[in-house]
Amino acid sequence: MIITRKALPRRTFVRGLGIALGLPMLDAMVPAMSTLAQTPASGTRRLGFVYMPNGVAKNSSIDYWTPSNEGKNFGMSQILAPLEPFRDRMLVISGLDQNQAEAGDDGASGDHTRGTSSWLTGVYPKRTEGADVRNGISADQIAASVLGRDTALPSLELGIDLNFLAGQCENSYSCAYLNTLAWTSPTTPLPTENNPRIVFERLFGDGGSPEAQAERARKKRSLLDSVLEDLNRLQRRVGPGDRVVVTDYVDAVREVERRIAKAETQTDSDLALLDRPKGIPERFDEHVKLMYELQWLAFRADLTRVVTFMLGRELNFRTYPEVGVTEGHHGLSHHQDRPEQIAKYAKVGVYQAELFRGFLEKLQSTPDGDGTMLDHTLLLYGAGLSNPNTHAHTDLPLLVVGGRDSRIEGNRHVVFRGQVPMTNLLLTLLDKVGVRTDTLGDSNGRIPVDTLPDV
Amino acid sequence: MRAATFALVIAVLLAPNGVEPVRVVEAQQQVDARAFMKQYCVSCHTQQAKQRGTVPVALDDLDPANVSRDARTWEQVVRKMRAGVMPPSGMPRADKTTHERFLTTIEGDLDRAARVMPNPGRTEAFHRLNRKQYQNAVRDLLDLDIDVTALLPPDDSSYGFDNIAGVLKISPTLMERYLTAAQKISRTAVGLPPSSPNIDYFRVADDRAQDDRLPSQLFGTRGGASINYTFPMDAHYTIRVELSRDLNEQVPIYQEPQLLEVSIDGERLNVFTLPGVAGPPPPPPSEPVAASDVPADDPAANAQPAARGRGAGAAQRGGGTGARRGGGGGNRQGQAQRNRADRDWEIRVPVKAGPHQVQVAFVKQSSAVAETTRLPFQRPYPAGVNIAETRTGAYLRSVEIAGPFDATGPGNSPSRQRIFTCQPSPSPTTATATTPAPRNRNADVCARTILTTLARRAYRRPVAAADIEPLMAFYRAGLAGGSVDEGIDQALQRLLISPEFLLRVAADPAGVPANTPYRISDVELASRLSFFLWSSIPDEELLRLAEQRQLRNPAVLEKQVRRMIADDRFGSFVEQFAGQWLFLRNLAASVPVQQNFPDFDDTLRESFRIETQMFVDSVIREDRSALDLLRADYTFLNERLARHYGIPNVKGNRFRRVVLPPDSHRGGLLGQGSILTVTSYPDRTSPVVRGKWILENLLGTPPPPPIPGVPPLKPPSFAGKVLTMRERISAHRNSPVCASCHSMMDPLGLALEHFDGVGKWRALDESGAPIDASGALPDGRKFDGADGLRTALLTSDRFITTLSEKMLTYALGRGVEYYDMPAVRTIVRNAGRDDYRFTSLIRAIVESAPFQMRRSHS
Repeated sequence: MIITRKALPRRTFVRGLGIALGLPMLDAMVPAMSTLAQTPASGTRRLGFVYMPNGVAKNSSIDYWTPSNEGKNFGMSQILAPLEPFRDRMLVISGLDQNQAEAGDDGASGDHTRGTSSWLTGVYPKRTEGADVRNGISADQIAASVLGRDTALPSLELGIDLNFLAGQCENSYSCAYLNTLAWTSPTTPLPTENNPRIVFERLFGDGGSPEAQAERARKKRSLLDSVLEDLNRLQRRVGPGDRVVVTDYVDAVREVERRIAKAETQTDSDLALLDRPKGIPERFDEHVKLMYELQWLAFRADLTRVVTFMLGRELNFRTYPEVGVTEGHHGLSHHQDRPEQIAKYAKVGVYQAELFRGFLEKLQSTPDGDGTMLDHTLLLYGAGLSNPNTHAHTDLPLLVVGGRDSRIEGNRHVVFRGQVPMTNLLLTLLDKVGVRTDTLGDSNGRIPVDTLPDV
Repeated sequence: MRAATFALVIAVLLAPNGVEPVRVVEAQQQVDARAFMKQYCVSCHTQQAKQRGTVPVALDDLDPANVSRDARTWEQVVRKMRAGVMPPSGMPRADKTTHERFLTTIEGDLDRAARVMPNPGRTEAFHRLNRKQYQNAVRDLLDLDIDVTALLPPDDSSYGFDNIAGVLKISPTLMERYLTAAQKISRTAVGLPPSSPNIDYFRVADDRAQDDRLPSQLFGTRGGASINYTFPMDAHYTIRVELSRDLNEQVPIYQEPQLLEVSIDGERLNVFTLPGVAGPPPPPPSEPVAASDVPADDPAANAQPAARGRGAGAAQRGGGTGARRGGGGGNRQGQAQRNRADRDWEIRVPVKAGPHQVQVAFVKQSSAVAETTRLPFQRPYPAGVNIAETRTGAYLRSVEIAGPFDATGPGNSPSRQRIFTCQPSPSPTTATATTPAPRNRNADVCARTILTTLARRAYRRPVAAADIEPLMAFYRAGLAGGSVDEGIDQALQRLLISPEFLLRVAADPAGVPANTPYRISDVELASRLSFFLWSSIPDEELLRLAEQRQLRNPAVLEKQVRRMIADDRFGSFVEQFAGQWLFLRNLAASVPVQQNFPDFDDTLRESFRIETQMFVDSVIREDRSALDLLRADYTFLNERLARHYGIPNVKGNRFRRVVLPPDSHRGGLLGQGSILTVTSYPDRTSPVVRGKWILENLLGTPPPPPIPGVPPLKPPSFAGKVLTMRERISAHRNSPVCASCHSMMDPLGLALEHFDGVGKWRALDESGAPIDASGALPDGRKFDGADGLRTALLTSDRFITTLSEKMLTYALGRGVEYYDMPAVRTIVRNAGRDDYRFTSLIRAIVESAPFQMRRSHS
């Protein structure tokens, strides 16, 4: 791949926007890999999480996800087969549980809600629809608090499904728990974005010359400074119990100030010239591809190093007629142990894996510092449910795709026995990206070192 | 004791506002509540049973003589019994009179206790505007329509609504978006150039039929798209149009040339032609003319809209050639040429700042009428699966509007007229405006006037110097850096990210002791009203009355409520409240699968939405009984929807009121395609989902969630036989653990089985068996089919109570708690005196203690 740094003429910019956004377009329009080229990287410095809603196609006897044998050179399952080209980077992990997603003392159903909300927190979410919504800090946000210090956006939260639907949330759990994986504090969920155009604008601004962008940034900072004064006054108007909200607000303002300052040092006018996505593509695969594309772009411009991506929201009723699935996603996931239904559900998993492979290929083919982008990236791909028919949170489907620098020995299927919480794996992944933290939710250790050499 | 005295005063104060005077009649009919409990409740609901986990609550130590002590539990008792869920079917129940007297006694005692010690609840201190409210506030503040979905992320919901204060959090992500949104909105409103030209893309759904004239399109056209677009400045803009392709991304071959015209505000700007196979295209019916809003004395008007590249003229001239070349239709070169046909379909035109209607539509050709109407399937374009192309004429895929280019000035948009209530100074950008400049005043004084006017509306209260100073500081900075417009823009950006604008703040007034109900201020009441009924900020009249402390006058308040319901802005109530209460919002994401529902398309989906929106709107605005939502004998239909429902003699795309034939089974919400579709799976009906929807949204008794760890059902197997829906879900009722809930849900849903997954009437189900739609309410009353279910639902006040609870939740932005139930009963009773007319219901909500009051911090 030959990269020449050249800016596109202005006319091309405007004209380019008129062309239907073909996916290869984004790629083709990247004028130069300026940011990465300037900052040679080594070590694993990116962490991504990809979430499949409604579990995977399996029950107690049929299993389209789990490899047929343990250890090296495992036999690819039907769902994982599309990822064969990346076998050497793959560590399939079986036997881990997310205990905090199980029904607790409040006896509440809400497995889909907890499957999502505890996936990266290891915390049993408080069953409430009120202001006392409470979960834990999620692993991605712990990573972002370190890896995100040097980027314009500490993290990106992306999704596919609309999340403004009515009546789709589980009994007495706020929809907040179902809409995102990312919690920056136990009380602050981060909104996911499903519109590629908005994601693009967040990453690259809405155009203009570098001077104009700098001027806008300066104005934004002074606006934010001034808002802090409003907040001070507000703080005095309300009672002590209500001040925490103002504090959250102040924190949000400060964080945005930091991002703007950071973005200024990262201004890359070439990238701002990219063809902007127009909106949400009608087809699922095009939408997913575009969202992966944006993650790749964000990594490439080093605008963020941490991403969570939900391929759908739990309980969704999307159909996938393009792969022959005409039943709603959630409905089909309750396969009632009928082999033909499980087989049909597997098509969804295969479809998702094919799209994921596209992302891996892109990372693989992009030079980055002393290697490829994939070398410096660590990804967790999986779900918060295993057998969806029983809402099982044990033996979760989890796949780690490790870059060379994460020194994870690939081509392996590791099976844990006994009750090992999934949060142990999350801690280990955090270790791998250099973010040391003692515990996460219900973790009680790390994944034994001998299964992941060189930790 | 001071607190109690205070509370009492409040209670007396509220009485003239419609709070029910103490009722004494019931005392004569009191039942022995203790004996009733003993006989019908506590045989199961004991402490021991609760400890064993067999019942969720124990009732054996409840004291009916002192209900306020356990008000929370008593309210649960009342709710379950009112819904007929308790005592469970199969257990002994009291006769109807005794049952009713027991409930009346308990409710009366609870209500009396609440009158002595009212608990209006405590709304959150901060209530962030959700994105719909933000959008409406910008509209009402700046006379500017924005697409908020492109600016702000969606809001999390709780209790079924997305305006719940407790979960409307502030995150850095959101703050960042507010900042960007403020910048974009302010510059557009003031008429300053955006940082780079806007490019807005409008995609027409693939399965939206374009064979006939669409509403808001010109006569003599078919299909296309009509876009209300706000042009930010007097400038040139490009409008680009693109044709739909077939499944292989090819432009199909049509017999006749396809003429696509682009108009602004009804004035044709250009016609693009796709050659047909039959021969050269006819000349367009008339010559293109310039947009009428360009004044004759404006130099821009002399510039004819120029089609660039191979635009209109070229395409027309080349039409004949294209048709001959592509004549055979099979030749590859012709196809390639056809695929490129719309590559340069773009015009560049001068447009004045402000909102304009951009219309893109095909010229309807006479011979197109002769084409057979596509029957029985209406879906014009296969979604995802490969069935034959059925379109007989070209369709529009997208419209893209870009600009401003070569701006001549900010123009005189409605937003500028709204903002510039005075003219700070003859700014260079407005010197050429055709309207005479308002009287010159000292620029700072004028800017202060402008910003004070805006801030008062935006902050929804009287403003002080301390509110205006920060805005003035930004005004001065902008002024120093450029112009008055820049100054106003900077100040407006500052205003739009102020917490005073983004948050509704409720602070306890000074001197109110802890945990004490107090009446909220008139100004706060004005905001509660406007956010409840308009999803927006108060208007001038409401704000003025509040500032004059007139709103607490019941006569004034009533008049305002009536005025607000009659106002256009009330449309947001129907859209937001009904949209979420009834799940109509989910229609947008409903994609019934094509194999099973071949004639479902976006046109039908849109028709469903319009029908229910117009129907709910009519019930409210015509001040009908809320019960009409279930029982009305009319609805709103166009031809497409009437055909779907099997109702004859409705022609054309226009929706009109239609009185339903008695045998149509369609009266009320339960017969509407919208609701029947959002409660179905993509491939079939789901009686469970429908039943649950009725229990939750019409009866207010959501079934408890499935008990964790219940093993999945073994589906009943009848080798080789296709099961009826009733058979498929029969296993639910054969398993005791499932039956406790499914015996409530399933029969309600099965009653609607005559309506398929997209609401079409059918006599036989998928298995070919006749549909058995008989069932019973939780309280045992039997019914048959949709008509029977409707009648059964109308015989209890559960529907009105549920509607009141939902509306109160929406009005307050918090969940309804047990201590709100006395208020809910008052609302139902007050509205009941007036046959539950909708305005009475809304007024009763507005007059209720939770709406008028707030409890101080504990």
